[in-house]
Amino acid sequence: MSISVLILIVLAIAVAGYVMARRRAMALTGGDRRKLHSLIGYYGQTVFLFASVPALLFLGAWLFVQPIVIESRVSSFITPADIPEGGSLDLVMSDVRRVAGGLDAVAAQDGLSEADLEAMRADFSNVRSRLASVGVALGSDVKPNVFEAAKVYRGALKTSRLAMVIAVIAASLAGLVLSYRRVSPEFRARNVFEGFLVALLIGASLVAVLTTFGIVGSLLFESIHFFQLYPARDFFFSLTWNPQFRGGSDLGIWPLLWGTLYVSFVALIFAVPVGMMIAIYLSEYASKRLRSVAKPAIEILAGIPTIVYGLFALITVGPFLRDYFAQPMGLGSSSSSVMTAGLVMGIMLIPFVSSLSDDIINAVPQSMRDGSFGLGATQSETVRQVILPAALPGIVGAILLAASRAIGETMIVVMGAGAAARLGLNPFEAMTTITVKIVSQLTGDTEFASPETLVAFALGMMLFIFTLGLNVIALVVVRKYREQYE
Amino acid sequence: MTDATFSGAVPRQSLYAPDEGMRRRNAAEARFRLYGLIAVGIGLVALVLLLSSVLLNGASSFRQASLLLDVPLDAAVLDKAGDRDPEKMKRVTTIGYGKLLDTALKEMIASKGIVIEGLTDKDVSDMISKEAAALVRNRVLAHPDLVGQTVSFKVLANGRIDGYLKGRVSMESAARDSNVSPNQLRLADALREEGVLIKAFNWLFITAPDASELRPEAAGLGVAILGSAYMMIIVLVLSLPIGVAASVYLEEFAPKNRWTDLIEVNISNLAAVPSIVFGILGLAVFINFAGLPQSAPVVGGLVLTLMTLPTIIIATRAALKAVPPSIREAALGVGASKMQSILHHVLPLAMPGILTGAIIGLAQALGETAPLLLIGMVAFVRDYPGAPPEGFFDPASALPVQVYNWTQRADPAFVERASGAIIVLLIFLLIMNAVAIVLRRKFERRW
Amino acid sequence: MDDIRLVEKTVNAAGVKIAARGVQVYYGETHAIKDVDVDIADRTVTAFIGPSGCGKSTFLRCLNRMNDTIPICRVEGKITIDGEDIYDKRVDPVQLRAKVGMVFQKPNPFPKSIYDNVAYGPKIHGLNRNKAELDEIVETSLRKAALWNEAKDRLSEPGTGLSGGQQQRLCIARAIATSPEVLLMDEPCSALDPIATAQVEELIDELRSQFSVVIVTHSMQQAARVSQRTAFFHLGNLVEYGETSQIFTNPSDPRTESYITGRIG
Repeated sequence: MSISVLILIVLAIAVAGYVMARRRAMALTGGDRRKLHSLIGYYGQTVFLFASVPALLFLGAWLFVQPIVIESRVSSFITPADIPEGGSLDLVMSDVRRVAGGLDAVAAQDGLSEADLEAMRADFSNVRSRLASVGVALGSDVKPNVFEAAKVYRGALKTSRLAMVIAVIAASLAGLVLSYRRVSPEFRARNVFEGFLVALLIGASLVAVLTTFGIVGSLLFESIHFFQLYPARDFFFSLTWNPQFRGGSDLGIWPLLWGTLYVSFVALIFAVPVGMMIAIYLSEYASKRLRSVAKPAIEILAGIPTIVYGLFALITVGPFLRDYFAQPMGLGSSSSSVMTAGLVMGIMLIPFVSSLSDDIINAVPQSMRDGSFGLGATQSETVRQVILPAALPGIVGAILLAASRAIGETMIVVMGAGAAARLGLNPFEAMTTITVKIVSQLTGDTEFASPETLVAFALGMMLFIFTLGLNVIALVVVRKYREQYE
Repeated sequence: MTDATFSGAVPRQSLYAPDEGMRRRNAAEARFRLYGLIAVGIGLVALVLLLSSVLLNGASSFRQASLLLDVPLDAAVLDKAGDRDPEKMKRVTTIGYGKLLDTALKEMIASKGIVIEGLTDKDVSDMISKEAAALVRNRVLAHPDLVGQTVSFKVLANGRIDGYLKGRVSMESAARDSNVSPNQLRLADALREEGVLIKAFNWLFITAPDASELRPEAAGLGVAILGSAYMMIIVLVLSLPIGVAASVYLEEFAPKNRWTDLIEVNISNLAAVPSIVFGILGLAVFINFAGLPQSAPVVGGLVLTLMTLPTIIIATRAALKAVPPSIREAALGVGASKMQSILHHVLPLAMPGILTGAIIGLAQALGETAPLLLIGMVAFVRDYPGAPPEGFFDPASALPVQVYNWTQRADPAFVERASGAIIVLLIFLLIMNAVAIVLRRKFERRW
Repeated sequence: MDDIRLVEKTVNAAGVKIAARGVQVYYGETHAIKDVDVDIADRTVTAFIGPSGCGKSTFLRCLNRMNDTIPICRVEGKITIDGEDIYDKRVDPVQLRAKVGMVFQKPNPFPKSIYDNVAYGPKIHGLNRNKAELDEIVETSLRKAALWNEAKDRLSEPGTGLSGGQQQRLCIARAIATSPEVLLMDEPCSALDPIATAQVEELIDELRSQFSVVIVTHSMQQAARVSQRTAFFHLGNLVEYGETSQIFTNPSDPRTESYITGRIG
C-alpha cells in the first residue's frame, strides 16, 4: 500500500470523525445548537484534528526512523570479508538496497512467488543477469552474504510497511474514538480546538530552530568524522591544497581561504563605492524621472539568480578581461580569474549595498541636513561630512552583510574564479574558493567516507562560522545605529 | 572682545560675485554629482550588459535547423512480421531508422540535382543529427499505421550545421574541425536554397530531455522544467502553511521571552546562511540520514523549502504587523476569541502581503542552484519523472542546474543552449514578479 | 519705556538690512505667503509671531533660501540683503546661507565632537588659515554663545551628549562661527525647559550688538521679552509690523488684538 493511499485513508477517517462529531453534538442537544458550549463546527474540527494530525505525524516519524532501524539490523549480515578492497560498509549497503529493489522488479516481471525468491541463491541462480534484465546493473557478481542481506532487507521492509499501515490507522482511529467520546454539550470544543491549533503553530515555528540544529549537527558530525581521518593541524595550517584519489592528499584550507577573501575583497572594492554612490545620488540628487527608472532597474539586478551572473562571468566578462587586460599586460591567459569572479560578484552586490545604504542614509534625520544647509554647506559637503559620518555604523554593518554574502556566494565563483588552489597576488590568475571546493568535493566521484569528500563538511563548517559571525556583528552594529535615532 | 579681529577677518563680499573658494567648492560639488551619476550609469550598464549578453547568446536557441525529408517507411525493414505490433517493431533499433533517413536525404539531394565536388557518403549522413533517428522511431512506434507510407518528417540537422546557419560555424572553422567539413557546409547552402534545410521554432528545446555531449542540437529543457515545477509545488505546499503558522505564532501568540527571542534571532540568521550550506544539510540529513533518493525533486523541494521559510516568515510578519490593532480589538470587542479574530479578520487582511512574500520567496527558490548541485541534481537525466506524488521521488533536473550542466560541456553549441535556458528561467521569474506586483497593487490598502 | 526709546534709536541708526517686497510662496497648489512686504533692520531683534500654520516659519526660510531644499516650494517677489537680490540668478544659495545663518526649532547638533560641530562651518567656508585660527574661531563662537565655560573642558566629547539647552546654544555657536550678518532662529526655545529658555533669550539679546536677528516664536511673552520689532502673521498675510511695544500695547489691526488677547490661537 503506497504512502499516498495511507494518507488518504487517514484523511477519510478524519472526515468521518468530523461528520460523526457534528451529528452527535446535534443529537445530544436535541437539535438545539444554542445549548452547545461552542459552535457546532468546532466539535467536528476538533475530532478531525485528533484523528488526522497525530496519525500523520506518527507516519512521518516512522518513515524517518524505519531505514535507520532496518539498516542496523541488516548490516549485521555483512562480514568484513564482504567489503571489497577500498570500499566501505555504506557502499555494500547501497548494493543491498539495489538488489532488494531489483528482486521486487524480478518478482513482478517473471511472476515469481515469495517461495521462489526465497529459494534463489546467489551462487547459482544467476542473480546478476536476472537483475540486469530489470535494469539493475551491478558492478560485480552478488556475494552470498549480500544476497542474503538483501532478502532479509526486503522482508524487514515488508514487515515494517505492514506494521506501519496498521499502526497509523490504529492511531487515527484511537484519536477519533478518544475525541469523539468527549463530545457533549458541555465540552469546550472551541478551546480545545484552538489549543490544538496553537500547538501546531508552535510546532511550525520550531521548524526554523530544527533547521539550525540540522545544519550545525550535520556540519559538526561530519567534520568530526573528517578530523578523525585527517589531522586538524594540517587542515588549519597547511599551505597546500592537493586532493588525491588514492589517499595522501594535502587538504590545507589556506589557499581556499585566501581565494575566498581575495575574490570577496575585489567584489567589495567595486560594489561598496558604486552601491553607496548610487544610493546617495538617487536619494539626494536624482530627478524624479531618473529615480523612477534607475531604482527599479537596480532592484532587477537583485532579483536575477546567481547562475545568470555565473554565465555572464563565464561567457562575457572572463574572455573580455583575458583578451583586453590580462594578455596585453602579460598577466595571464586564463578567462576565469579572481578579477572575473570579483567583478561579477561586485555587480551582484551593487543592489544589496545600495538598498542597505539607502535605508541607512534615509534614517539620518532631516534636521541634520537642515543644520548643515543652514550653515551654508553644499549638498556634497553635507553628504560627506555630516550624513556619512552619522551613518557610519550603519554603513559598516551593511558592508559586513555584503562581505558575508560575498564569502558564501557559490555559482559565480564556480563558473568565474577557476578551480586551481593557489596562494598568489595576481588578480588575473585563476584561484579557487571554499565554496567552489565544497561543490567539487561533494559532486566528484570520490567515495563518501574518504577525507577528500568529508573535507567539504569541514569547509562548510568554516563557511558557516564566518558568515554567521559577520552577520551577528553586522546585526548588532545596525541595531545600535537604529537605536541612536529612535 | 575679540570681535574686531573676528569679523574683520572676512572682507565683505557681494552675493553676486562668487569668490575663489566658492568656485572651488562648486567644482567639488559638480565632481561629486558626476561620481554619483557615473555610479548609477555603471549599475544600469551592468544590467544592460548582463541581460543583452544572455539574450544575444541565447535567443538563437529558440530556432533550430531541420531538414524536411520525405521518408519512405519501408514495411519490410520496420515491421518484418507485418502485423503492426509496436512490441515487435521495437526490435528495429535506431540504426535501422538512421539508414532510412540517410537514404531519404541522398535521394533528396539527387532529385534536386545538387552536386558538390568531393562530398563523401559520410558527409551526407552526418548532416542529420544522431538523435533524429530516435525521434522518428518514437513517432513510428506511437503511430504504427504510418509504416508502409512515405511520410514527410522534419528531422533535426546536425549541431554544426545548425551552428553554420546561426553563424557560429564558418568555412574557416569547419576546415579545422574534425566534426564538420566545408563540403557539408556547401551542401547545407545548397539545401537551404532548395528549401530542404530550414530554421523553425524549436519546440524540442522546451519539451525534450537533455541529450548527450555530442548532440547539442537535441538537448532540451523538458526534464528540467518538470523538475523545477515539482520542486516549486513542494516548496509552495510546505513553506507557505509552515511559514504563515510560524509567523502567526511569533507575531500574535508568542510571549516575549528569551525563548521566542532565540527563535527570532534564529530566523534572521537562517536568512543569511549561504545557500550552499543548505545543500550540505540536504545531503547529510535527507539523503544520507533519511535515505531519500539522490537527484529527486522531493529532496530539492525540501531543501528549498527550508531556504524559503525565512523569507516567507519575514514577509508574513511584516504583513501581520501592518494590520492595525484596531481590527483585532474590534473582533475581540464583540466576543471573538483571539484565534477567531486572527483567522477571521487579521489573516484575510494580511493575505495579499503574505502571497506577495511567498511569490518572491518562490522566485528566489526557482533560481537557486548551489544547494541542488550537492544533492545530486547535476546527474544526467533523460527520463521524464513520473506523475506526482510518486514522481517526486524520480530523478530529475532543474532549470538553473541544467544551465550549469551545459556550461560544463565542451561544444560551444551548449553555450547557446545555456543562455537559452536562462531566458526561459528569466521569463518564469518575470511572470512570478509581475504577479506579485499586480497582487500588491490590487490589494494595497492604506489604513 | 526708557528702554524702548533707546532701541528705537538703534533701529534708526542701523538702517535696513533685509527688504522684502511682494513675496509670495506656494507649496504646490497652496498659497502659503501672500504678498508680504517687510523691512528688517540691522542690529535688531525682529520677532515673527502668529498662530501655527500662519506662514511665519515659511517666510523665515525664504530669507536664506532654505526653501530651495523643498522641491514643491516656489517663491515669487523680491528679497534683498544690503540691496542685493538673494533670488538673483547669480547668487549661490550656499554663499547666501553663510551670510544668513540659521538656528532650528529642535537642537540638531551633528553627531561629532563639540569642537567639530562649531568648526564645521568655518572649515567648509575656508575661513581659517591654520589650526590656531580655527581654535580661536571656535573659542570666540562658544564664548559668544555663552557655552565656553561649560564646554571648554569637553571639546572633544560628542555634541549630542549635552543637555537640551546646551545643545541649542551649541547650534547657535555653530551658526555664528561662520560670522554671518543675519541670524535666523526658528522657534529656538520650543524644545527647551524654562531655565534653558531664559539662558537662550539672554544670549539673543547679547547677539543683537553684532547681528541682525530674526526670531520666529509663538510665545508672545518671548517676543515681548527679546525683540524690538514684531511682525504678526495670520493665514499667510503680514497683518501688522511695527515696534514691539506698540504691537503689544496698542495694535492697530483688530486681528492682532484678538491674537494678543488670546482669541485666535
